[in-house]
Amino acid sequence: MRGVAIIGCAMTKFGRSDLSLMELMGESSLGALRDADLGDRPVDAVYVANMGAARLNKQTAIASALVDRLNLFPAMAEAVENGPASGASAFKNGFQAVASEMADIVLVTGGERMREVNNLEVTDFVASLSHPEAEYIYGVTLPALAGMFARLYMDRYGVTAEHLAMVAIKNQENALKNPYAHIQQEITMEGILHAPEAVVNNPLIADPLRLYDCCPVSDGAASLVLCPLEMAQQMGKQIVKVTGLGQATDTHAVHERPDPTQLTAVRLAAQKAFAMAGLTPKEIDLAELHDAFTILEIAQSEEAGFFKKGEGHLALEKGITSLSGELPINPSGGLKARGHPVGATGVAQLVELVWQLRGEAGKRQVEGAKNAFACNFGGFGNNVVATVLKRED
Amino acid sequence: MEEKVCGVRCKACGKESYPAHAICPGCGGDDFEQFEIAGEGKILTYTDVYALPLDYVQRYLRLAIVELDSGVRATGQLLDDDPKIGKRVKTIIGIVRQSGDRKIHGLQFVPV
Repeated sequence: MRGVAIIGCAMTKFGRSDLSLMELMGESSLGALRDADLGDRPVDAVYVANMGAARLNKQTAIASALVDRLNLFPAMAEAVENGPASGASAFKNGFQAVASEMADIVLVTGGERMREVNNLEVTDFVASLSHPEAEYIYGVTLPALAGMFARLYMDRYGVTAEHLAMVAIKNQENALKNPYAHIQQEITMEGILHAPEAVVNNPLIADPLRLYDCCPVSDGAASLVLCPLEMAQQMGKQIVKVTGLGQATDTHAVHERPDPTQLTAVRLAAQKAFAMAGLTPKEIDLAELHDAFTILEIAQSEEAGFFKKGEGHLALEKGITSLSGELPINPSGGLKARGHPVGATGVAQLVELVWQLRGEAGKRQVEGAKNAFACNFGGFGNNVVATVLKRED
Repeated sequence: MEEKVCGVRCKACGKESYPAHAICPGCGGDDFEQFEIAGEGKILTYTDVYALPLDYVQRYLRLAIVELDSGVRATGQLLDDDPKIGKRVKTIIGIVRQSGDRKIHGLQFVPV
């Protein structure tokens, strides 16, 4: 297997967009290709991450459509639908294509245009990843699964509503330093939890989770360009190397897990990624975790190996995961504040890692970042992809 | 959907699973008999969800994961005004979703 580098990246601003899905994906793709500055080298393969185009945008076969828009003929192309982990899954496919010498230059683009439909429809669309007979028919949605997870977690480990709010406050503060983030709003503990108007401003979504515990519904796209490490060196690039990739699955129905507070697929995917990279979690300088709900940032920070089980909220409390802390988590604002166009998210996480490793993250730059980690969490933890990237000096 | 909810019991190792799988998660067997998900158990966790999917007109739904005394767990709707983790409940079958004219029956949990 040969080494693989990321030599280009870009994303659109996340939020509500007037652009079509193809326009969004075209914009981020072009941005990444320009960033890669390929000259006359052809793109050999295109992997598109998307979860809902068929249902939300009434469009299928979108990888071919993207090739057409970008005039990348006759590149190989396909779409990857793997729920909310589609982004990192598509990236993994791209990595495999380059590592196996099937392709030299690969474009990975994740995109989603969710706000084309109303909230009920979009909630129902995401809920369709739950078990059709054992979960979905009861009105189970992703917030419902997160709410049941949070209640058990809080009961067992002493996590409080304040801890959840700390995640939201931290990530929204980070997002203020990220021009691509959907949510640009400073919030305070008083305002979202303790003030009399907090019950109105921050209503329950899935008790005990409130509005500010949940990511927004976003439109957006993100792209990466991959090539063999050797080619990147010849091109004289600032190199970000893909050092670790791991993926693992878990039961479809959440209730079947021996302990429903364990995110086993996160643990296994992270272990595989760290083993491949030859690193321990201690050597990671920053992490992008899949905080679709605040509780998930805390839980994933433990399962990925950064903190002991039941101690993630204590690390958060001490500021260890803040931008200026020992291990900044979600410097981009995370899904919570950067936004969560589902197919784009896993790619956007890696775009943030690349910017951080290249020292291009502006006011949210984690100084001297060398090794970075991302966790892209599909289903309610039934399919997880973990990635480790490294700056090569 | 018929008006009962069933899991499967592996004929080789006896493990009960719900929902059904084609391969037994316990022993890898592939020969099963059905059994009804019914009886008493305790609330493992619950939520009141306000972010509802299509087909619901109410403001929120109370959902729970219940562990039945047999050890099998199920997700369903909780009809209990005073829910608590660990509280005893039993299963009933009710209409859990109505999609157009189609009434879908499924598990509901009520206090014992």
